[in-house]
Amino acid sequence: MSVIIDIEKCGKIKDCPGEGLCIKLCEQGALEEVEGEIVLHPEKCDDCDLCIQNCPNQAISKEG
Amino acid sequence: MVTVARETKEGKQSRSLTHKDEKCVGCGICTDLCPTSSIKLGPILPIARGLLKVDKININKENCVLCGLCASACPFEALEFDIDGVDIKERPEYPKWTDDAEIDEEKCIYCGRCEKACPTEAIYLSRSLPNVEELVRGETELDQEKCIQCGICEELCPAEAITMHRNDIDPSEPNVASSVELDKSKCVYCGVCKRACPVDAIKIVCTTCMEQEDIVTPEIEGCIVLNEDECINCGWCQEICPVDAAKVTKPFEGEIEYTEDFVCKGETCHACEDVCPCNAISIVDGKSVVNPLFCTLCGACAKACPQKGIIIKREKMNLENIRSKSWKRRLSGLTEENS
Repeated sequence: MSVIIDIEKCGKIKDCPGEGLCIKLCEQGALEEVEGEIVLHPEKCDDCDLCIQNCPNQAISKEG
Repeated sequence: MVTVARETKEGKQSRSLTHKDEKCVGCGICTDLCPTSSIKLGPILPIARGLLKVDKININKENCVLCGLCASACPFEALEFDIDGVDIKERPEYPKWTDDAEIDEEKCIYCGRCEKACPTEAIYLSRSLPNVEELVRGETELDQEKCIQCGICEELCPAEAITMHRNDIDPSEPNVASSVELDKSKCVYCGVCKRACPVDAIKIVCTTCMEQEDIVTPEIEGCIVLNEDECINCGWCQEICPVDAAKVTKPFEGEIEYTEDFVCKGETCHACEDVCPCNAISIVDGKSVVNPLFCTLCGACAKACPQKGIIIKREKMNLENIRSKSWKRRLSGLTEENS
């Protein structure tokens, strides 16, 4: 099971107080920056939930 | 440093609360205790990883009633509470922590283990050792005329006592080095150079055994300082000291447990390891392992764990002189099960 990013809440990298904090925290490479956008690679996600817990905009959650 | 200050009791008293972020470990004890929920724990993991530069806690100045409970209960002295300019730690009516760390200089052998292990770099060691020259004896002779500057002695010398002063290759004065030098302060008279020299240019005689009576027993002098301002009473120095010279009383007694359904993500996450101020946590075989010897039961790991799998079971709190009944009740929350 991977995470989902709420696009409404996510400030993208330019408006994120942590300037893409989720990308910096994820050591699995499951979150990546592509031209200012956050791109999720679900196959790399190990469900550690660090991104969920630390997202400054509370934009990340689990499916279901 | 953030300060909340106000006049209270109709201007008869001035109270101020100051947060010293450099001493704060982000354990969240103050946030759990604050009766008005005026303290919020910051993003301690991103801070610990150096990704965000913000204070570890955030005090709501409007809501804070300046009661001083947080400052009394902070085991790391990161919150300072003054009444009329006097720190409550100095006031007899307020609680006192009895956790402590000290190093007995009489017992200390200046080995330096504690200094290297201390997670907060609170220990300073300086020591003076005798010169090698005073402890080994012998004679050396280097015949510069015979020497062909092959450099074999320099390469082989186990004490790195031999230096060849090489020069630029000059056709008018064909030579590869100007001289070979033997540093007597490093030489241990082992004789490797003598045996290896292809032209017999070195003489070495060791007289250490012969002169043993004259050689003094090495005296190691030193000085060890434990800076209480930086010390968090984690117990590293006590555990690593080979001569029992360090004594630590921790702020809490108890143990760490894990929730039954805890699925630790180990190396993927390692949030606990990163936020632990005591360097008490490591990831072993893909699981978080807390070494209780070094843990202060502060609870930062439990706060940082995204799986909420760590339970801090504090059985005793080394805080004495809690006179207020309501404070006692509030503080007892810390010594019950918290996750």
